[in-house]
Order: sequence, then structure tokens, then C-alpha cells
Amino acid sequence: MLEYAWLIPVFPFAAFLLISLLPKRTLSWEDGAGYAVGGAAAALILSVLVIWEVMSGSTMVGDGPKFEWLVIGDISFTFGIWIDQLTAVMLLVVSVVGTLIVVYSAGYMHGEGEKRRRYYAEIMLFISVMYGLVISDNYLQMFIFWELVGLCSYLLIGFWYEKPSAASAAKRAFIVTRVGDIMLMAGIIILFKYVGSLDFVTLFDQETAAAVPTDMMVLATALIFGGAIGKSAQFPLHEWLPDAMEGPTTVSALIHAATMVKAGVYLTARSYPLLVQAPESLLFVAVIGGVTALIAATVALVATDIKRVLAYSTISQLGYMTLALGAGGYLVLYADTGGGYSAAVLHLMNHAFFKALLFLCAGSVIHAVGTNDMRLMGGLGKKMRITSMTMLVGALAIAGIPPLSGFWSKDEVLAAVYHAGEFNAVFFLLWFMGIATVFMTAFYMFRLWFMTFAGEPRSDYHAHESPKIMTFPLMILAALAAVSGFALFISDGFKYFIEGSIGGLVHEVHHESATDILGVIFGDPLTYLSLVLAVGGMFLAYKMYYLPGFDRSVFARGISGRLQVALENRWYISKFYDDFALRVVYAVSLVADAFDRYVIDGIVNGFAHLGGRSGNVMRTVQTGNVQRYAGLVVIGLCLLLIFMLYIAPWGGW
Amino acid sequence: MLEGVPVLSLIILLPLVGSLITFSLGRRENLAKWIALAFALAAFILSLVVVYEFVVDPYSAPSGEIESYSNGYQFYESHVWVETLGINYTVGMDGISLPLFVLTTLLCLLSIVFSWNTTKRPKEYFGLMLVLEVGVLGVFVSLDYFMFYVFWEIVLIPMYFMIGVWGGPNKDYAAIKFFIYTHVASLAMLIAIMAMYFEAGIETFSMVAIAEESVAFSRNMQFVIFAAMLFGFGVKLPMVPFHTWLPDAHVEAPTAGSVLLAGLLLKMGGYGLIRVAIPSLPTGAEDMMIVMAVIAVVSILYGAVLCLAQTDLKKMVAYSSISHMGFVLLGFATLGELGIVAGVFQMFAHGLVTAVLFMMCGVVQHKCGTRSIPHLGGLAKKMPIAATLLTVGFLASLGLPGLVSFAAEFMVFAAMFFKWGMWVFVPIGAVAITAGYYLWALQRSIFGPLTDRIDTSHVKDVDWYEGVPVAILIVLIAIFGVFPALVFDRIWPAVDFAMRAFGGG
Amino acid sequence: MIPIEYWLVFSSLLFCIGAYGVLTKRNAIVVLMCIEIMLNSANINLVMFSSYHSVLHIDAMDTDPSGQAFALFSIAIAAAEVAVGLAILLSVYRQYKTIEVDKINILRW
Repeated sequence: MLEYAWLIPVFPFAAFLLISLLPKRTLSWEDGAGYAVGGAAAALILSVLVIWEVMSGSTMVGDGPKFEWLVIGDISFTFGIWIDQLTAVMLLVVSVVGTLIVVYSAGYMHGEGEKRRRYYAEIMLFISVMYGLVISDNYLQMFIFWELVGLCSYLLIGFWYEKPSAASAAKRAFIVTRVGDIMLMAGIIILFKYVGSLDFVTLFDQETAAAVPTDMMVLATALIFGGAIGKSAQFPLHEWLPDAMEGPTTVSALIHAATMVKAGVYLTARSYPLLVQAPESLLFVAVIGGVTALIAATVALVATDIKRVLAYSTISQLGYMTLALGAGGYLVLYADTGGGYSAAVLHLMNHAFFKALLFLCAGSVIHAVGTNDMRLMGGLGKKMRITSMTMLVGALAIAGIPPLSGFWSKDEVLAAVYHAGEFNAVFFLLWFMGIATVFMTAFYMFRLWFMTFAGEPRSDYHAHESPKIMTFPLMILAALAAVSGFALFISDGFKYFIEGSIGGLVHEVHHESATDILGVIFGDPLTYLSLVLAVGGMFLAYKMYYLPGFDRSVFARGISGRLQVALENRWYISKFYDDFALRVVYAVSLVADAFDRYVIDGIVNGFAHLGGRSGNVMRTVQTGNVQRYAGLVVIGLCLLLIFMLYIAPWGGW
Repeated sequence: MLEGVPVLSLIILLPLVGSLITFSLGRRENLAKWIALAFALAAFILSLVVVYEFVVDPYSAPSGEIESYSNGYQFYESHVWVETLGINYTVGMDGISLPLFVLTTLLCLLSIVFSWNTTKRPKEYFGLMLVLEVGVLGVFVSLDYFMFYVFWEIVLIPMYFMIGVWGGPNKDYAAIKFFIYTHVASLAMLIAIMAMYFEAGIETFSMVAIAEESVAFSRNMQFVIFAAMLFGFGVKLPMVPFHTWLPDAHVEAPTAGSVLLAGLLLKMGGYGLIRVAIPSLPTGAEDMMIVMAVIAVVSILYGAVLCLAQTDLKKMVAYSSISHMGFVLLGFATLGELGIVAGVFQMFAHGLVTAVLFMMCGVVQHKCGTRSIPHLGGLAKKMPIAATLLTVGFLASLGLPGLVSFAAEFMVFAAMFFKWGMWVFVPIGAVAITAGYYLWALQRSIFGPLTDRIDTSHVKDVDWYEGVPVAILIVLIAIFGVFPALVFDRIWPAVDFAMRAFGGG
Repeated sequence: MIPIEYWLVFSSLLFCIGAYGVLTKRNAIVVLMCIEIMLNSANINLVMFSSYHSVLHIDAMDTDPSGQAFALFSIAIAAAEVAVGLAILLSVYRQYKTIEVDKINILRW
């Protein structure tokens, strides 16, 4: 079965081709939604079969079907598929969330008319290349799909291209992620030089990877993680993600919450066998993750656009994942356990479900209200019962309230980071950032929920519950968000399962029963600390945004006021990039343009003028008077005669 | 199937005959485009036959002893022209010429289709296009320096007239500048050729025979000749700082002229370097390696930065050519097989992509009456097909994987890293700048609200004769992007052969 | 026999007179006539040298009439030249209503 896994991306791609090339009248339902759902569902079924195979213990790492893409002398690039436990988790996320969102889109995009065709075509292309990314068996293939998902992201963020802000956001997203992509490409090239192959199976072999000098390995892994910084919106390249909210909400849910932004985390997880050889890079990964988690959470505290809150929340959660991966590498190196790695992957999966859910709920709200601004919402809970309840599930999950999914993975992440602190004290600091983020996460999520659904409407709208085709995916996702955390307890434990994909690195096998795991979690006082913080955050939000009479203006004064302004301006990072682009890059280009016009071209034209000028001087000799010419001839003749007769003999010729 | 048929000469002759007929049509001017189309199509179909023959029956480079360089050429023909001077009419094709040769017949054909509604002096217009095709085709298959030079110079004349007669408002300046600038470069090349001829002293202009002698020239001699050739070919390429003719020529040239100029004429520079300069003068190339690399990197970055400042869509595309042809030079500068193969592929890729870009600039110009980016805006609403094609073209040009340029750019960077290590981080930044200027241009010209700075009430979407050539090119861009091996498998043996034969690799 | 210097001085004088006329006279017809004078001075030289050659080599019976022949050629060509020149002058006159050479100076830059 696994050798047919390459068919998974083929179905959505076929749907993409059909939707974009078929004549319009054959598209029928919702301008192509039928083909889209069909393609996504076919891929879902195949994915489930593949996941089933992986669950029952078979993987395909390096021995799958191959396609020779390019051969230049003794260099060859082959494409193939790589199915292991990590791939299975990603497949699950992409297939389930992808299919549900395509179904949801049939309701959400109903009013878009003609544009739906383009929407479905682009979204199917995205799903197809995302699958391609997930099942790649070498870095080059992965890079190719990596760029293509970026392209789809660009196209879909700019879906409403006639809005200047959307067009601008799309451009930003592409360029910023491209900076990361360049780093990834450079990292790949470094590996390629020393190993001579980009296949995972060769690179992940500890012996062949030893051909890379240590400093180059650090550089290469750091650069590969640089790709993740761009794609997974890590600090300092994270500002494109909130801007990307200009796209339709379904796009935000699919690309900018559940799948594409996970690609960076996936890449980092995939590169583990290389990363663990470079502890410096691991520390870099962890620090970036921790800083990202904290910074993004702070901005989410004050954002008023419902989607931006969720976007910053996504960045923050992605920060958790990279933090866990960085810490997990230390655990693999020094404690011989895949704890951090499994925590990151589990959080990746859980987050995909609950964040997709949250985005789709937000989409449902926007669909009903027609604005993104939470200050204009309120009181929607009564009118949109399903949306508000499913969103509550999502909010509780992300806040980390047991037994919902977020609790389990977040707890594992923080435990891993704390554990890594034994080997490098920096991780204690990072753990502190993480635990602070727990509090903020709970606060901003419930701030969002209360502002949206509780109290009285703050503007004039006639909200109503969304159609069934939209609420149905919400309910499924809510169920998944509630229970996906229990993956921790599957058979021998999630850790045991996922350690299969970093097989050679962890030598001790961890069979864990559910009671073992529960015992560890609830025997740890830190668990209760994070729980208390989460509940505290929720309570603060309840007090500030639900109970009437709380004077929020106390925060607008003094230092906290200044801090609030800084947060509302997103720590000025976005502004910094804008200024950099406009005042530095663009200014340099203007100077270069002037240099080109006036100096380089000036020299060229100068030569031309030199020719012209000298001709101008010379031409005055040409009077047009024949007799003067004749006179000159005579004078010349005489001079020549004098020369021949007197000067030349005198000179000795 | 082609046993004994002088197929290359036939392909070169076809457009020549076509142009003669076109010129002598008298009053029946409307026939001109049909005749041009017929002959260009015939040449293209014949070139496809050549491709077929080449692919099913590729020469196998002898793995051991290399007896003669001419072994590597297919469809080889040689006729004596001027015996006393050793001038022969010699043509032949290898894997380096093949992609460029087919690119030439294809682009000429598509340009003729694209110019379907030309009303100003159509006889001369289409006739000159065919003459241009003759010249470019000749350059790509000549194996005799004399013929090479003759064909090289033939190319200048029709292009001069195309800019000078059918050009924009500043056409006289641009045409003269183009002609004189590239002609000066040709003279440097001529001097280099003469130097090789006399230094070799074997009374023949045959590239192969001279190359066999020239590899043994003294180091200084090679250095000097190579420098002259680098200037000669580099102006055409173009390389900074000898590039300023290019934006002017493009801005003024008619669309088809720009397509051929950027798609084919620039490739002649790169082709000359890899066909003549590098294999024939290995130590000269080695001595100039760093110079070439620095120029290439500067071209890549400088061209990209300049693009950001442009407000004319076409001028931006013209500057982007400088940046992208810098990749070709960079690949060649590594003097390694990987880099050279990548450089040749980049020439092919750039030929396809830049043709799309110039055609789309032409469409915008024809439909909206201006190419000034600040005056455009929101065109996607009025002309969705054109917007899609333009977007795909831009994406291809910025090196998106799955489209043709990516493989070339990736290989060039890899080759540079192999050779110079961390220096690769200098030109690699251009990739981000490239994305920046293209997407910014898209944002300003075709996205956003529909502009009110020009009258858009009569703006229509692409016409068939504009859309079809672009669509064909885009399909090819996608095919060769997904399966670059189709071309690489042809280029590599030829490069390998040339480099091994003369110890340059 | 007249010494050769006499002939040479004579033809030089003739030539200088002609040249002076060509350079200074404004009427194109006069200029043309002066050119004829210069031509004839050259003819005199040709004939003169030819006859001196025969005289100097009289013992060897080595007579060379080619100088005389040249002179004849020259006269014939001069006649043709005058015809063409006058025709040009005529058409110049029709065009510009003058044949003064310093007025006809459009042949510049």
C-alpha cells in the first residue's frame, strides 16, 4: 500500500486541473466545489489507508519507488516518497483539516460568485503540493514543494486582490518567506557539497553525515531552520502571518494555521538526525521558539481584529513547537529520550485541529457579522449557539484545560523544556517564557471569546447561525480538538510511536502505558502550576471583559500605557521592515538607478559626445568652397614636396 | 531519416528565402505575414525533426581517448568557401547548440504570430524578422570563425532597423546606441578571432582546428585573447558595466523585437563564451575566472536592485534580463561542468521566460496604451487572462520551482558554493530582491483597485495572436520546469566533451 | 635643340598660371579654362620628355613614342572632361542661376 502513497497528491492536483481547465458550465455545484471535495476526499481516504499501515508498523524510508529527476554527470537528483510516523501525523493533519475546510468553503465562499472557481483551483493546488511536501524523501523535492506552498499562500492571501491591503499582504508574505527559503536553499547546498546527495536516507545515516565538518553542520542546520523561521513565522520573520489574514478565513485556517505554517516545524522535526549533531543549532532553535512564543502572545493580548488575535496565537503556538524541538534535541542527545520531539509533534497535530476550529469559528462569525473587529461584536452567543460552543471547546483546548487536547501536548512541551534545563540553564529561562505564555494564551483566547459571544451587541447587525455545511465541519473539528490529545495514550504511547521516525537516535525504548503517562503528568507539580496560570488567565479575561464595570483605562496610563501602545504597534517590528524596505532598499535602488543613468550611461554617452564634438570641430574645415579645397591640395602638395626633397634626406631616410 | 540531407543549411536557408520573397512582394503587403509564418513554421518543424534525430541517435562521447573535437557534432557539413584563406562553410550541432537552435526557430515563429496585426510596413517588418532568424541560427551552428562572425554581424542589421523604424519615441537614439555599442564589441571579438587565427598559424578559420592549437598558446596570449572575447561576448550578454544599451533598446523596440533581442541575441553572448572562449582558451579563462565571477555577481545584484527603481514595466523586465544573464556568466565563471551546464540551461530558460514577459509587456502596452506602472493598477479585473499570464511569467522569472528557471538557478548557486564556498551568500540575496520587484510590480500594476489614471473603458483582454504564443511558451516553461532533464541530458554530454577535450574542466 | 630647362620652366609657368586661375577666379568657366591650361602644361612635359628620350638614345635606335601617345590620350580625355564639366556647369546654372564657384558651397558638412 505504501508504495502508492505518491497518488495522494495526484488526486487534488487532478481536481486543480479539472477546475481550472474545464468549461464553466460543467463545474456545476458552487463552481467546482464538487471536484474540490472529491479530490480532497480521495486524498483523505488514501491518507487514512497509509496512516493505518504506519500504525500497524510498516514504514517506507528510502526504499520506496524512485523517479530520476536530473542527472548531471555523477550528480543525480531522484524524487521519491518517504513514509514514517512523522509523515503519518502530517498526513492526518493535512487530509482531515484540508477536507473539512473544503467542505466548509462551500458555505463560506457561497457569495463570491465567479471568483469561486479560482478559489477552488488554488486551494486544490495548495492541498496537492502540501501533500507533496509531506511525503518528500529528499531536501530538493521538499524545497520545490516548499516554494510551491508559498506560491499558493501568495495567491490565496491575495484572493481579494482588488483590496490594496490584500495585494500588499500577499506580496509581503511571499517575500518574507522567501528570505527564509533562501536560507533553506543555502543550507541544502551546503549539505549537498559535503555529502553529494540530498536524500534523507543518505543524509540521516550518521556515517555519511560525518563527512560534513562540524562548523558546516551547525551552519547548514541553522540555515535549514532559517527556512522554518520564514515559513513557520518565527521571530524575527513572523510579521507576515498577521498580515496574511487579509485572505479568506478558510485560507487562514488551512494554510496559515493548520498546514503550511506547520511545514517549518515539520522540516525541523524531519531534520532531527542532522540537528542533533549540532547542539548550537538546537539551542538556536529553542531560543527562537521561546522568544516567538512570548512575543506573539503579548501582541495577541491587545489585538482587536479577531483573525489577528488568532494569527498571533498561531505564531505563539508554533513557537512552542520549535521550542520543544530545540529542547527535545538536547533530551535526545543527553537523556536519550524523544520526549521533546514527541511533545512538539503532538502539539503540532493538536494545534492543527483546535486552531483550524478557532479560525473556522471566527469565519462563521465574520460571515454572520461582516466585520473582523471584535469591538463591534458581542452578544453573538445566543444567536450562534453551535459556533459559540465549538469555539469555546477550541478556546479551552488552546488554553490547556484538561482533558482537552491542548492540555496534554502543552504540558509535555513545558515538561520537556524544563527537563532540558538540566543540560543547559538557558532552557530554564525559556521554560519561564513558556509558562508566562500559558497565562497570556488563556487570557487572550477568553478575551476573544467574551468580546465576541458574551454581553450585548456593540453594533447593528442581524447575525444568524451559519448553514449546516459550515457548522458540520465545526462540530467534527471540535470533537477532534477535544479528543486528539488522547493520542498520547495510543497503544505503547505516542512517544513510542513517534520515536520510530528518529529511530537511530534514541536507543532506549519507551513502552508506556496510559497509567504511566498519567502518573508522570499528574505527579509533577509543574503541571498544576501551568493549570493554575491558565485558569488565572481565563479568570482575568472573565473579570475584564465579561463582568461589567471593570475600568480598563487603568492600563492605558504610565508604563503599562506605553507598553500597550508598543503592543498595539506590534512591537514596531512591522514598521521596522516597512522602513527598511522603503528607506533602505528602495533608496539604494533609486541611487543605483541614478548611478546607472548618469554615471555608467553618462560615460557611454560621453564617448558618443566626444566623437560628436570632435567631428563638430573638424567639420568647419569643410567650407564647401571648391577653390579653398584646391588651395589646400596645392599647399599640401608643396608641403609634401618640401618634405620629400629636403626634410626626408636631412633626416637620413 | 535525414541521411545525407544538409538539414542545418536547409533550416538556415528557409528564412532567408522567405525574407527574399517577403521583401519582393510589392503591393501585396498583406501576404507578408502569411509567407513569413509559413517559412518560420517550416523552419521550426524541420528543427523539431532535428531534435528528434538528435534525441533518438545521440552521439556517445567516447569515454576514453578523444580523437577529434569534431566527433562531437551531428548534422556536420563542411564546404570550402575561400580556399586561400582557409574559410569554410562549416556547420554542426551538439547539445549546447541544440536547445538554443530550437529556441530560435520557436521564438521567431511565435514572434511572427504575436506581430500579426502589424500594419506599418509589414513586408519589411516580417522580412527583417526572418533575416534575423537566419543570423541567429547561423551563429548557433557555425563551426568556422569566419562564418560565425558573418552571421554575428548579420544579426545586428535587422535589429537596428526594427528598433529604428518600428520603435518608440526615442528610437533613433536607442537604435544607434544598440548598433554602435554591440558593433564595438564585435570588433573586439574580431580582433580576438584574428589573433587566434594568426597565432595558430594553420591557415584555417575552423573553430575546431584552431581550438586544438589555441589550448597550447602561451598564458599571456590566452589571457589577452580571452579578455577581448569576454568584452566582445560580454557586451552582448550583457554584463555590467557594458549593459546600458540594453534598457534603451528594449524600451524603444517593438514587442517582437524585444522578444528576439532578449530571447536570442543575449544568448549569442553566452553561447560565444561557452562555444569559443572557454574551451579554446582554458588558461585564459582560468586567469579571468575571478573577474568573470565578480562581474557576474555584480550583474546579478545590480540588475536586481535597478529593477526595483523602474517605473516602466518593460524597462524593469529589461533590467531583470541583466540580472538573470548574470547567472549564466556566474555558472560559466566556475569553469566546472555543473556550473557551465547550469549556465547553458539558464540561457534556454531565460529565453523562454523573458519572451513571455516581453510579450505580456507588449500586451499591456497595446491594450492600455502605457506601460508606466504608476499609471496602471487593477488590470486583473479588466483583463484576467493577461493578468494570469503575466503572473505566471513573473513567477517563472523569479525562479519558482516547477517552472523552468529554478533548476538553473539552484545549480548555479550549488556550483558557486562548490567553487567559492561562502561567497555564494552574496548573490543569493538577489533571489529575495527578485521576488520583491516582481511582486511589487504585480501589486501595483494588476492588483488593487482599477486605475483611474488612464482611460480603461476600452481595455480588452488579450487577442488570440497574443495569447496563443504566450500560452505555448508557458506550457513549455512548465514542462521543462518539471522535467528539466529533457534539456540537461542534451547539454551535459556536450559540455563534458568540450571540457574534457581541452582540459578546461 | 632647345635645352630642357627652357621647356621645364615654360611648362611650370603654364602650370602655375593655371593653378593661380583655378584658385582665384570666381567664374566657373574661367576655372575650367585654367584647368585646361594646367593639363596642357603636363602635356608639354610628356611630349618634351618623350622627344628627349629618343634623342638621348638615338644610337641604340631606342625610340619611345609612348609619351606622345599619352599626350594624345590626355588631349582626348580633356576634351571629354570639358564636355562633362560644361554640362555640369550648365545644370548648376539652371539650378542656382549662377556659376560663381564661391556661391556654390552647399557641398559641406
